[in-house]
Amino acid sequence: MTTAARQETRALAEWRAEIRAWLEANVPEGGLPDPESGDILDAHRAWERTLFEAGYAALHWPVEYGGKGADLDARIVFQEEYERAGAPPRMNLGGLMLAGPTIMKYGTPEQKEFWLPAILSCEHLWCQGFSEPGAGSDLANLRTSAVLDGDELVINGQKIWTSGGMHADWMFGMVRTGDPQSGHRGITYVMIDMRTPGIDVRPIKQINGQTGFSEVFFTDVRVPVANVMGELNGGWQVAMEALGHERGAGRRTYVKFLNDLAQLREFVTSLGQADDVGVREDLGRLLTAVSVYRHHVGRTVADSMRGHDGPEASYNKLYWSEMTAQIHEVGMRVLAARAELQDDEKSLPGAKQWQDNYWFSRATRIFAGTNQIQKNIISERVLGLPKEPRR
Amino acid sequence: MTYAFTAEQEDLRRTARDLFGRTCTPGDVRAAWEPDADQDRSRWRRMADLGFLGANVPTEFGGSGLGDAELTVLLEEAGYAALPEPLLETAAIVVPILREHGSPEQRETWLPRIASGEVLATAQLMDAPAAPYGTVADLALLELDDGLHLVPGDRLTREPAPSMDGARHTAALRGVPDAGTRLPDAARVDARSRGAAAAAAVLNGVTRRLLDMTVAYAKEREQFGRPIGSFQAVKHLLAEVALEVETARPAAWYALTAVAEGHADAGLASSAAKAAANAAATTASYHTLQVHGGIGFTWEHDLHLWLKRGKALEFAYGSLRHHHRVLGDAVVTCPDLMATFGPALSAAS
Repeated sequence: MTTAARQETRALAEWRAEIRAWLEANVPEGGLPDPESGDILDAHRAWERTLFEAGYAALHWPVEYGGKGADLDARIVFQEEYERAGAPPRMNLGGLMLAGPTIMKYGTPEQKEFWLPAILSCEHLWCQGFSEPGAGSDLANLRTSAVLDGDELVINGQKIWTSGGMHADWMFGMVRTGDPQSGHRGITYVMIDMRTPGIDVRPIKQINGQTGFSEVFFTDVRVPVANVMGELNGGWQVAMEALGHERGAGRRTYVKFLNDLAQLREFVTSLGQADDVGVREDLGRLLTAVSVYRHHVGRTVADSMRGHDGPEASYNKLYWSEMTAQIHEVGMRVLAARAELQDDEKSLPGAKQWQDNYWFSRATRIFAGTNQIQKNIISERVLGLPKEPRR
Repeated sequence: MTYAFTAEQEDLRRTARDLFGRTCTPGDVRAAWEPDADQDRSRWRRMADLGFLGANVPTEFGGSGLGDAELTVLLEEAGYAALPEPLLETAAIVVPILREHGSPEQRETWLPRIASGEVLATAQLMDAPAAPYGTVADLALLELDDGLHLVPGDRLTREPAPSMDGARHTAALRGVPDAGTRLPDAARVDARSRGAAAAAAVLNGVTRRLLDMTVAYAKEREQFGRPIGSFQAVKHLLAEVALEVETARPAAWYALTAVAEGHADAGLASSAAKAAANAAATTASYHTLQVHGGIGFTWEHDLHLWLKRGKALEFAYGSLRHHHRVLGDAVVTCPDLMATFGPALSAAS
């Protein structure tokens, strides 16, 4: 709250001031439209380039790969300021958060030199190729096959829910190299050039009308064996490491949700509901959640900096997704009968965006591992309850 | 402290858990339900000997050198053990209110005797109809129409007001106030914030115990030939409790730091902490009894000792609705949400 800075060391406080000043000078006026909304991709790439040139593209990457080698506390400060400034959504998180760290751990020196700088500068956009029509929560059931032929893998099959698939240059994916019944022991993690012949990307229209994700079809797609990360048939472990990064702290802070709450407050005031006791209670409930999330992230940072990163990362994904769904639900109740109208932007600024965000908030309980899967992880790996029998 | 405890503070947690593991077993808590159990001060003296009651008491008044972070640990452990005695009121409300707002004479009279375990203090704040251990307390902080009063035991009238949690030994207190018992105006808000923050920490300890008892039961109880804890319908209930209580805990840690250091956001931080603890406690109350099934509904099973403590603490120092209203008022009336609640530049930079 107002005393947030009190606990910051001098170094962190200076870092916060540096970031705030830089963002004030550099964030495009009015932000940038959603990258899916047409010919705006270049503006987003330009923004990423600006971040890269200032040295802010990948704070968590080690210095030797062009990052800042920043600790989690410094990354959280950056993220808080980034959200506070209303800076554009990051374009290449798949590459920065997931592919990059995997390449650093498993890539050859040549691969690192080829892939990492292009991720950093946003020259290559990356997408994730995990989910399939028959392999969602049961990820180890994936069937896209890869058969060894000389020094190449020949891939056939289909991926789905591939965010950013339409624009991606590279995919980090999982394919089945073992027999169909081999489960998680027959999976290989491989980097796939999206321009390889035989790849067909088809956008999927989402319920919010946008095309954020795609289906990707593979027909005899030939990929060098050298692009395999880790061992052949050893891809499951590589992927689980990557997913841990996806769920943990660092990607979102309470400030993002405070922005939502500020917009909600605008609606409440404009619509004359500020003195409604029920509405105030709802707002109090939401401010509680935002505060709790702030302190939860604070604790996660403290634990992580003392070397404890565990399955508790699932708390993070559960908490923020439930909170964002709640905030947007309350907002829809405040908009009430206006919530269905599509062209209310003039009489109530922000309403159209809120509707879009509302439907997006409904996706947050599903993506990055459904909340039911997160509860399985907490109950089995944090609380130590027995596993449910599986085939 | 705030978000992480030192090795020494974790040692203190083990000391407390060990002490309560020997002297505050479920059988002991049950024994504390006996009507005259409030006369027994043996556990209170042990706590004084270990320095628990001298936390935050200045050393010239016999303080033990334990501070706010240590007190946070002790409050959580008191809840975990369903400790009958009012550590919350004595150590987390009366001591700091005396220290910060008491007259020199009040401090000199009471602080050394609290630290030594001779005096057990309670509090009856806001619209509370009764105070825990009001039956026997030697000193009480009362919120009256004109403000806070610190009233010695011999000037209290005690109406019987038994709690559904028999170990709390509640009584409705009325004092005979005078100019000498009245505390400065600032004490009133401070006491409310401290009460909410500390009650949140104790309540989180209660909730964590409910969770741990239920996880143990779900691993052991079998139906359909396997432990019930292997069914998703059961494990998801417990994961929800774990999520709520483990996210509520750091909010209480922060609030206790904020009230201790007198920060501008102490009141709102305490409200958020207590609201989160209340919500977690409600979820836990439902889910843990549900997972225990019939056995959990028996008087003989220990679960209800914690269910009832949780329910009592849920309404002490502000209900969920009370704190949501406090926070909702702040959302509506503060000039700029980001300036008030967002990250601030430090003066150091």
